[in-house]
Amino acid sequence: MQEKLQEILTEVREKAPALVTRADFEAFKATISGPNGALTQTMKEMGRVPKEEKPALGRLINEVKGQISSLFDAVIERLEAAELAERLGPAIDPTLPLPDPDRGILHPIAQVREEIVSLFRRIGFSVAEATEVETEHYCFDALNIPADHPARDMQDSYYLPSDLDVANVARHEQEKYLLRTHTSTVQIRTMLKESPPIRIIAPGRCFRRDTPDATHSANFHQVEGLYVDKDVTLLDLKATLDYFVKSIFGPSARTRLRPSFFPFTEPSFEMDFYSPNLGKLSNRWLEIMGCGMVDPEVFKSVGIDPQVYTGYAFGMGIERIAMILQGVDDIRYYYQNDVRFLRQFA
Amino acid sequence: MKISYNWLKNYIDLDPVEHSPEVLTEVLPLLGFDIETSDALGPPQLENVVVGKVLEFGQHPNADRLRCCKVSTGVEGEVHSIVCGAKNFSEGDHVMVALPGAVLPGDFTIKKSKLRGEPSEGMMCSSKELQIGQDHDGILILERDVPLGTALNDLYSDGDTVFDLEITPNRVDVLCHLGVARELSARFGIPVKYPEVTSATENPANGKPLLSGVEVVAEEACPHYTAICIEGVQVGPSPKWLREALEATGQRPINNIVDITNYILHETCQPLHAFDAAKIEGGKLIVRSANEAEKITTLDGVERTLSDSMAVIADAERPLVIAGVMGSVDAEVDHSTTDIILEAAYFDARSIRSTARKLNLSSDSSYRFERGVDPKGLTYAALRAVDLILQVAGGTVQGDRIEVGTEPPIQTAISLRPDQVRRFIGFEVADAEIQAVLESLELSVSIHDEPDGSKCWEVSIPSFRGDLQREVDLIEEFIRVYGTDKIPQSDVVARGISLDDHRIYTVNESMAAYLSGQNFNEAYLYSLRDPDEIQFFFGEESDKLLALDNPLQSDQSHLRPSLVPGLLDVLQLNAARATGATRFFERGRVFRAVNGRMMELVSVGFVLVADSVERSWKEREQPDFYTARSLSQNLLELAGQSSAKLDFHPIEDCRLWQGGQSAYAGDFERMGFEATCGLLNIATLKERWDIATPVLAGSLLMTPKFFERKSKHGRHTGISNQPASSKDLALIVDQSVLSGQVQSNVARFAKKSAQGFDCEGVRVFDLYEGEGLPEGKKSLALSMTFRAADRTLKDKEVNAAFEAIQKLIIEKTDYQIRK
Repeated sequence: MQEKLQEILTEVREKAPALVTRADFEAFKATISGPNGALTQTMKEMGRVPKEEKPALGRLINEVKGQISSLFDAVIERLEAAELAERLGPAIDPTLPLPDPDRGILHPIAQVREEIVSLFRRIGFSVAEATEVETEHYCFDALNIPADHPARDMQDSYYLPSDLDVANVARHEQEKYLLRTHTSTVQIRTMLKESPPIRIIAPGRCFRRDTPDATHSANFHQVEGLYVDKDVTLLDLKATLDYFVKSIFGPSARTRLRPSFFPFTEPSFEMDFYSPNLGKLSNRWLEIMGCGMVDPEVFKSVGIDPQVYTGYAFGMGIERIAMILQGVDDIRYYYQNDVRFLRQFA
Repeated sequence: MKISYNWLKNYIDLDPVEHSPEVLTEVLPLLGFDIETSDALGPPQLENVVVGKVLEFGQHPNADRLRCCKVSTGVEGEVHSIVCGAKNFSEGDHVMVALPGAVLPGDFTIKKSKLRGEPSEGMMCSSKELQIGQDHDGILILERDVPLGTALNDLYSDGDTVFDLEITPNRVDVLCHLGVARELSARFGIPVKYPEVTSATENPANGKPLLSGVEVVAEEACPHYTAICIEGVQVGPSPKWLREALEATGQRPINNIVDITNYILHETCQPLHAFDAAKIEGGKLIVRSANEAEKITTLDGVERTLSDSMAVIADAERPLVIAGVMGSVDAEVDHSTTDIILEAAYFDARSIRSTARKLNLSSDSSYRFERGVDPKGLTYAALRAVDLILQVAGGTVQGDRIEVGTEPPIQTAISLRPDQVRRFIGFEVADAEIQAVLESLELSVSIHDEPDGSKCWEVSIPSFRGDLQREVDLIEEFIRVYGTDKIPQSDVVARGISLDDHRIYTVNESMAAYLSGQNFNEAYLYSLRDPDEIQFFFGEESDKLLALDNPLQSDQSHLRPSLVPGLLDVLQLNAARATGATRFFERGRVFRAVNGRMMELVSVGFVLVADSVERSWKEREQPDFYTARSLSQNLLELAGQSSAKLDFHPIEDCRLWQGGQSAYAGDFERMGFEATCGLLNIATLKERWDIATPVLAGSLLMTPKFFERKSKHGRHTGISNQPASSKDLALIVDQSVLSGQVQSNVARFAKKSAQGFDCEGVRVFDLYEGEGLPEGKKSLALSMTFRAADRTLKDKEVNAAFEAIQKLIIEKTDYQIRK
């Protein structure tokens, strides 16, 4: 019997490593430890063994059983590993090109707009919106732009037919609709809806009737800012815009407020900046935005008392800032959307 | 507007170092006068450029525009043949001649040559060619007493700097040299030297009157008109100082009388006009409205047709001047003139503006009148002109000045509270500083104490500052001249945010983030599109309601109703350039005709090539309708629209979308949005964009009102921890029946049939068409999940519910249960 056990063990030792499928393994295992297996049969002979031999033989059986069991475990482990390897396939090549399109990118103008907006949101401004179709009242009259101002000329603005009715843009009276020429309209719409304190930043699309060229486009984008409260001063305006210019163009940028004229602010300024790090545009004054203190006439047109409240407003062209920041010399590139151009700002 | 540094020095003592042209380049912009260009004038050292005399000239035999001239430079026996293209010279004129060997600015070497067969031994030069002026329309004509042969550099020794200033429309008073001098005076603290006028008009000769009178009919357009008669003037070229002044500022000298009126305009801002008295028919000037369709040939040689809204200065027969805009050739002062009438008038700004605009004619004169000149300025300007005319051209003043009307009234004083100045600017300045700044601008300040102890000043305004009307205007003047560079640095005051960002903005941002994460590139396109495209895709009503009143280009005449066509342009461009990009999106406003009215909508659109031809080592499943729908639904979710409430309807026939392969959901009226997605029309794509691959797209349109929806807080209703139980059911239905319909019917039946427990959901999980099913039918497999709140469901009760559901299906629908 001892010999038999040794034979079985030897057989398992010899054959187990050669087993390559689970089925072969199960079949082989049945010939050993199945109901009719060699080991099972041998153990049945235990009953015929003399009593005094039983303990020694018992130990032997257990030992053989243990060894066979670990040989079988090793086979299972080996088979499982092989199965897993088969399921996983060969090792990946991490350098193959991705079979999916590249991640999309936001348009360079959207990126700059977002940068501008977030700089102002950081200091307490929130984003306001209004429509692109506007009326003469909200685009001009309420902003103190008189009826015979050149901006109101048919040459400079896109008008809609006088008999047109726009369902979701409210008119003041029966004035004409047009495409807004600036985002300053959002100032008016917001001041009519909210009461001070008002601190808004309004990015949006504007339209001017210009022949397209390297710096003019039928539509373009502006960001308008407005701050109205009881104690807003010129000092605040300067501090805010200095912060903005230095944040976006770097701390080495210098600014100046050049007195100018806009009907809706008094005093009015153009803000210029000067930077040593702008390539071709370095070391010269560049106009960056118009700004000023809200004109009392504008406050009157929206029912805010100019004796109680003061405010500042500013407006800048997003394309202009984008062109300076991104070194783009023709505005039309932005509207072609050649992905090779767009990707340069990824 | 061009300002000459040398000319400026007549009115203010500018220190060559402290107030050099370079310093002015820094100072003027900070006073509010931006410099467009700044040019150093004065000729470079030029050899062989000398004064010559035109002995004679004749027409070039082979060229209409050229003249053949004989020119002497004073050397005995030497006559130069020169071919010249200019026409502004006469025989005997002294001119600057560049002789062979001269090298003019721009490395232009003068050689002996032949021009169209005629010999040319030199060139007669314009002031611009020699860099001593701006004029390039004709050659430079010198005074006839300049000796022949004088070298250019001996004649023009000192240079000048000319600033081209950008003057804002409110500051008409600075559109002249005295105005700029006043501003520099305020900044530098140097007084202005106003030229003194003599009393030449006080003791006129009493000869035969040159003019019987002036009649002003158009009183509104011309509230104040004056005329001075001067007899016996000698018309000729202007002296050097006058010519140089005009040339430096880009004006062409004509003759001494005309030049003086132009000089005064650029000195004082007051436009003047000189008439040849002999050419006034009937001896009387009439300021009247033009007759409708009346014709006048203005000094620029253009015949213009007037209308009755325009004012003219006329004689008995014809209009001589378009009032305040431009004179006619008929009463021009020329070499034959001996007696002149000098007009100094105040014309109404609106009237001039409307005339100039209607005629599309802007002159130095109209430019100033339409901005509102100094209502009290004309007398000084007229007297100053008389002085210069008598000095330069001789003559005597004849008779009293003729005056019709009066100076229009103006505001003379404004109240200013120094505390209000400080409140506005936000930093401390002393009263005395404010007062000093205002006084430097020729405003005078008288101080009153209010009963409450605060100060209120009365500031009197000079007549040339019509732009100053309110306290805030004075605050602006203070800060402008005090210097914006003196505003202290301070910290940004950042307070809490008082409003939420507008939802249109935040939703747009998250949609863009989502789409770029789904590999879409953002595009920016024009809002204006071609009318043919609108017609083709959106029909007559849109064509009408989306048209601009005054388009600039015929292919950009309509507002866009959809982002999709623009995005197809982008796909087309990228395909043509083989950039490999197949996915784009845009967010922007679009415009729709809705129930006969136009509506502005917030939109997001995307396109993706469905059948990418790009070869890849690994195949990916191609996107299909459900890709587009999934993207659209997710975008709507970001906008706050629950997908559960979306009801997609198939599109059958459409020029933009492919019928049977696209669908839409929502409506503007009830839901505030409309979403369309799926395959774009294959034929249209090929025809209009030459795109042969199928393209999927999605287009979301939302009313601005849609974004005003308040988001609600969710309410917890408890969730069951009990095990779920599910049942599957296959239904045979007509091909045309929408699975959504089947699903919602079954869900309704299930809800009704589950007694004492819930049907948590009914989901379509399989679709089968083809073998084993009758023609025109399809099989939908649905799975239903049941659960009770408080117990494990028993098979018996689930089975009962399942039976009930099937019973309802049989009773209420024509769906066939597949066993």
